[in-house]
Amino acid sequence: MADFLQNCLDGIATGAAYALLALGFTLIFGVLRRLNLSYGPSIMAGVFAGTALYMGFNAGLAEIAIATVIGAVVVGAYIERLCFWAIRKDMAVASMVSSFVIWMQIEEAVTLLFPDRTYAFPGILADAVVEFGPFFLRASSLAMLAIAAIAVLGLLALIYRTHFGLAVRAVSENPEAARVAGVNTGLVTFLAFACASALGGLAGFLIAAGDQQITPLFGLWATFKGLIAMMLGGMGSIPGAVLGGLLLGVVEANALWYLGVETRDLVAYMLLFVVLTFRPGGLMGQAALMARRAAESRV
Amino acid sequence: MLDDHLIGVLSNMGMISFIALSAYLVLVVGEISFGQQAFFAISAYASGIASAMWGWPFLAAVLWGAAIAGLGGLLLAIPTLRIRGLYFAIATLAFAEMVRLALEIFTYQVEVDGELVGPDGSEGFRDIRYIYEADISAGEFLLVILGLLAVTLAIILWIERTRLGAILRMVGEDPALARLQGVNVNLAKIATVAAAGLVAGIGGALYAHLNTYVEPKIFNVMLGVHGLAYGLIGGLGTAFGPLLGVALDIGVLESTRAFSGYRMIVFGGLVAVLLIVRPRGLLDEAAVYRIRRFLLRKHAGD
Repeated sequence: MADFLQNCLDGIATGAAYALLALGFTLIFGVLRRLNLSYGPSIMAGVFAGTALYMGFNAGLAEIAIATVIGAVVVGAYIERLCFWAIRKDMAVASMVSSFVIWMQIEEAVTLLFPDRTYAFPGILADAVVEFGPFFLRASSLAMLAIAAIAVLGLLALIYRTHFGLAVRAVSENPEAARVAGVNTGLVTFLAFACASALGGLAGFLIAAGDQQITPLFGLWATFKGLIAMMLGGMGSIPGAVLGGLLLGVVEANALWYLGVETRDLVAYMLLFVVLTFRPGGLMGQAALMARRAAESRV
Repeated sequence: MLDDHLIGVLSNMGMISFIALSAYLVLVVGEISFGQQAFFAISAYASGIASAMWGWPFLAAVLWGAAIAGLGGLLLAIPTLRIRGLYFAIATLAFAEMVRLALEIFTYQVEVDGELVGPDGSEGFRDIRYIYEADISAGEFLLVILGLLAVTLAIILWIERTRLGAILRMVGEDPALARLQGVNVNLAKIATVAAAGLVAGIGGALYAHLNTYVEPKIFNVMLGVHGLAYGLIGGLGTAFGPLLGVALDIGVLESTRAFSGYRMIVFGGLVAVLLIVRPRGLLDEAAVYRIRRFLLRKHAGD
């Protein structure tokens, strides 16, 4: 039992990182209704911008964090213009494949600029451990949890309490109607994409600082973990992204402990497959999916 | 005579074409699959087991592998019937990764001629030596690949011209309308996904026998996403589209080595621009219609 609880604690810490990645994914999907496979690689490019600053100029943590976020936003803007803004809105598959080839492009560009396998990244609170009775948690994980919680609250406030958030929801609900009502849909989409990239940059900084290293494979990892977490919760749902991330983290941690490293990923994919089979809209997205299908069947 | 490099490139193109065709079939009925590499993998293993461990002849092993892959398609299609759109894409991705990770722990070996042969988890599956024992040259094997590809392509093109092809396109365009026309949408989807599994399976069986060695990590998600992308680059209007996509990527960019080192930067940029101009690929429905009209007019003029 004690093992199980400690695993859950570890899982929640990893899950917080997954949740942050899933939040960015879900924000992009919510406003575009299309999937950005290049989300992870854009974060990876940002983290490498931070690494470059760290290695080249021995910059401080704050500058590195800012460089990471800016790098992710710049690459994100490139992806948004090329793969989403420039492609017809009803061609979702074309956008997705386009974001995939741009992923390959980003990965190759980064590998050319940074040819080694791994690069060092400055750690924050790297060795500190917080103890709760018999249980313990790395301080960096605790920081990640806190920042994830703040990010969720900030995002909810942005989407549900501001004028910009109202525009985002309007574009998400019905882009044509939003345009007629005077919303600059292109700008709102671009800004929401930039917000998601900034959030991704923050997540990437925290994850890289926790690991104290970075590889070009980080892009693949971030895309898939974020995607699985988002799909578990349901696409476009903010609470779903958090739930999906934490659930994925906890299940992975327990599978690792009880079944071993080979089986961990297998269990994660089984979880996803089973959830989608029985709830085809994800855990928190089922109601939205059903509502949309009901609306379609009325038309 | 063709040189070895060219034979290698053409063989690769032929085998990858099966995955591209398989992803294309799923796209025709309106779904996206990130998971066709699973059927490639299933058949590579199943056919390898049949020929290297059970001593089956080559063609029987290929058919067996493809049949098992088709069965895998059926097993994937039934539970995912209610899943649509991007959720379907991710469900197929999860399925394919489950298959790959299961192969990482799958071990089944028997003694053949005093040596242990068979899949050995993440070590892979060595010694699928049929084409060496039967003394088949790379050139002859290329003919086998192209022959099977031609047969598969001919069958798909023929189906596309029939009423069944029109029904499948309708299911992809508008399932609700298809249902109103009395089409059994679920059956059409299940049958197509199973057939797509079979097609990918032929490629997988050929791959295992040409390379004599397979390991689970070859069948990762990149293989499947490339297969999907080829259809979209070449065009979704005809089964020639995926083949054109394969030819452009592997045939022109990878093998000319003109852009080695930064091939993906060039290729990625070109494809991104192509998808802006032609979001359904080079040979999209409109292009196919124009080409067909042009050919018919020429024919009528003779």
